[in-house]
Amino acid sequence: MSPDAPALGDGSGASPPAVAVSSLVKRYGQVEALRGIDLSIPAGAFFGLLGPNGAGKSTLINIVTGLASPSSGSASVLGYDVVREYRRTRRRIGLSPQEFNFDRFFSIQDLLIYQGGYFGMPRREARSRAEALLSRFGLWEKRHEKITRLSGGMKRRLQIAKAMIHDPPILILDEPTAGVDVELRRDLWDYWRELNAAGRTILLTTHYLEEALVLCETLAVIDLGSIIASGSRDAVVERAGGDLSHYFLKERRPGLVEVRG
Amino acid sequence: MSEGGGAAGFLTLLRREVYRFIVLPNQTLVPPLVSAALYVLIFGYALGSQIKSVDGASYIVYIFPGLVMMNVVNGAYANTTTSLFIARHELFIQDLLVSPLSYLEMVLAYTLGGAIRGILVGLATLLMGYAILGVRIHHLGSTLFFLVISALTYAAFGNIVGLWAERWDHVAIYLNYVITPMVFLGGVFYSLKMLPPSWQAVNRLNPIFFTVSGLRHGILGLTDVSPALCALVGTGLFAILFVISVALFQRGYNLRT
Repeated sequence: MSPDAPALGDGSGASPPAVAVSSLVKRYGQVEALRGIDLSIPAGAFFGLLGPNGAGKSTLINIVTGLASPSSGSASVLGYDVVREYRRTRRRIGLSPQEFNFDRFFSIQDLLIYQGGYFGMPRREARSRAEALLSRFGLWEKRHEKITRLSGGMKRRLQIAKAMIHDPPILILDEPTAGVDVELRRDLWDYWRELNAAGRTILLTTHYLEEALVLCETLAVIDLGSIIASGSRDAVVERAGGDLSHYFLKERRPGLVEVRG
Repeated sequence: MSEGGGAAGFLTLLRREVYRFIVLPNQTLVPPLVSAALYVLIFGYALGSQIKSVDGASYIVYIFPGLVMMNVVNGAYANTTTSLFIARHELFIQDLLVSPLSYLEMVLAYTLGGAIRGILVGLATLLMGYAILGVRIHHLGSTLFFLVISALTYAAFGNIVGLWAERWDHVAIYLNYVITPMVFLGGVFYSLKMLPPSWQAVNRLNPIFFTVSGLRHGILGLTDVSPALCALVGTGLFAILFVISVALFQRGYNLRT
């Protein structure tokens, strides 16, 4: 790391948040997908971002990772601006996008090695890292196969491995357990807990409320492009009257506004 | 954690771009040689005897540099358009967009990857010309310059189309309605002197005319226009298209939402 880089979650109060967004607005034509969001995710947190489909979760993640441009406002990663200092912010993030996005051209091992290369890893280092991840995710036997030969669960594991190839301090998981069976889900939970315990920040979006409750100590609920609740898991659950699903049920929303007010 | 990442990221993408076309020789490297050989057969042996020599060169030798250029342009253009379009269409362009590669590095790697394909195909065609027609290169430096600058130019043009295209159909549009007519009307098969003055003027608006003329000067020592002007047009066009490519990547045109 260069001398001017900020500390990565060293526990000192002075370290900047892993992710911070301020007055973040994203418009698609007339539609406001994000309506002035403020959010701060401390380094080292296991943070859950919840909300119904189309609430703005992926838009927020895409702006932080570089897949979308903000209309106004700002976003930073460990103190670096995601637009002006994109090379620094991107180096620090691993993203597992909701949709699979594999370069079908390669075997799965080469896919990981090339991905490491894009992040500036020397080939030898990328190879040994890829081998370790393939073993960890039970993909070793398949390492010479093309993507099309993998099952859905294997693709999901590969997607997570790809996000981790450069060992980033921040892992962003966009609906990572959609369509994943119970056994694999538990395994992924264990993996993320290990990463988090080792000091990495994890930002998770999920439809599975149970998953958020089990994993995340801090939550934010987003709907219609605004944060409608955020804070510690217990506080956010309490504001929903003990049941997170209240945030998602349309007929309950009028009541929710009262909670917010 | 080094911040610049050195050249490793750029070299990885360049390696991918080259590897992609190397392992698909029947789509990328061999067909242009086959088509050039067919042109040589038809224009050299079947029709060529009916066409008088141009500037002292037999007709097939006169058009040969144009055949080389046609392969260079098509190869470079096809490489960047298809590679970028597929990467966007199948979303794995995101792997680059979330990486610390700079936009300049991305464009440079794509452009060079396409240019290398064009240059390889061009050199192979030249070799074939030497083997079949005995064409020797008149001026090596000039020949290489026009091969390289043309390959870079149409690879850069392919970047733009590869970003713009929303469907496969769009990838074909520029090839069929822009590149191919420009090549055929770019002096591949004729000398400017064969045309009436008004058409000569129209030809001078076609940038491929200048690259074909430049390459013809390099290979045969014959030309309709000054090689310096050809070099200027070629370099200028490349610079414009390259800068546009970088600007589009920077803006995230059809890359970021």
